[in-house]
Amino acid sequence: MIPTQWFLILSAILFSIGVCGVLTRKNGITIFMSIELMVNAVNLTFIAYARQFDQLHGLIFVFFIMAIAAAEAAVGLAIFISMYHHKDSIDVDDANLMHW
Amino acid sequence: MFEYLIFFFFAAVAVIFALVVILHRNPVVGALSLVVSFFALAVMYVLLDAPFMAALQIIVYSGAIMVLFLFVIMLLNLQHEKEPSTRPVQQWLGYLTSSAFAISLVYYLGKYAVMSGALPVPFIADARAIGRRMFEAYIFPFEAVSILLLAAIVGALMLTGRSEQRENTSGEVIR
Repeated sequence: MIPTQWFLILSAILFSIGVCGVLTRKNGITIFMSIELMVNAVNLTFIAYARQFDQLHGLIFVFFIMAIAAAEAAVGLAIFISMYHHKDSIDVDDANLMHW
Repeated sequence: MFEYLIFFFFAAVAVIFALVVILHRNPVVGALSLVVSFFALAVMYVLLDAPFMAALQIIVYSGAIMVLFLFVIMLLNLQHEKEPSTRPVQQWLGYLTSSAFAISLVYYLGKYAVMSGALPVPFIADARAIGRRMFEAYIFPFEAVSILLLAAIVGALMLTGRSEQRENTSGEVIR
């Protein structure tokens, strides 16, 4: 049985890669994919702790996180499509006004 | 041990393809790499005795969400998008901050998150156990999530609706 700690370290590395993507990229879609990466890293932590403490609550939280991530992806990508129609760009530096 | 070999191979796959997602200029390559990374995470879930969650990961993430991403990238024709390299100082600060965050997180997890190994009883996390728990204790959040998904559908339709159509129905320009 692989120690829980190693899964936590893998999850920490993936989360940091996601943070790096959000901080350094300007393409909106890539930033969104980095957020999905962070959500998945947190899911891995939830499942690792669920096995460690023999609790099913962590797995059910992961189920809800997946549903919410799907909703978030749908609305976020709709926002980017709308922004592309208005600005012809999905560079997040171009979206510096609340109203356009 | 065979289990450790699988763990390290798929951990390396997950990390390398996650790096491709944030470093590659082409968003299509990034999206496909993210699919590979999610598959590697599904293998991790199998190693953690949660095969139902692995199936959900592949169906929901690799299947539904990433297809949505790919469709939007191809709809907006972003394959040849070139990012202008503005603000180099902030970019390097971002790399520096996130790598410092990663190093400190890994260091403290390695130092303090040492947990006992084997469980006294096998961890049962199949669809039957999860469904039983979900429809007993978590029935209200389950229904709330269904309403949230409905709200997301309506919101996405409203955001992507063209302004010409709204102009026709209401008689004035709404932007």
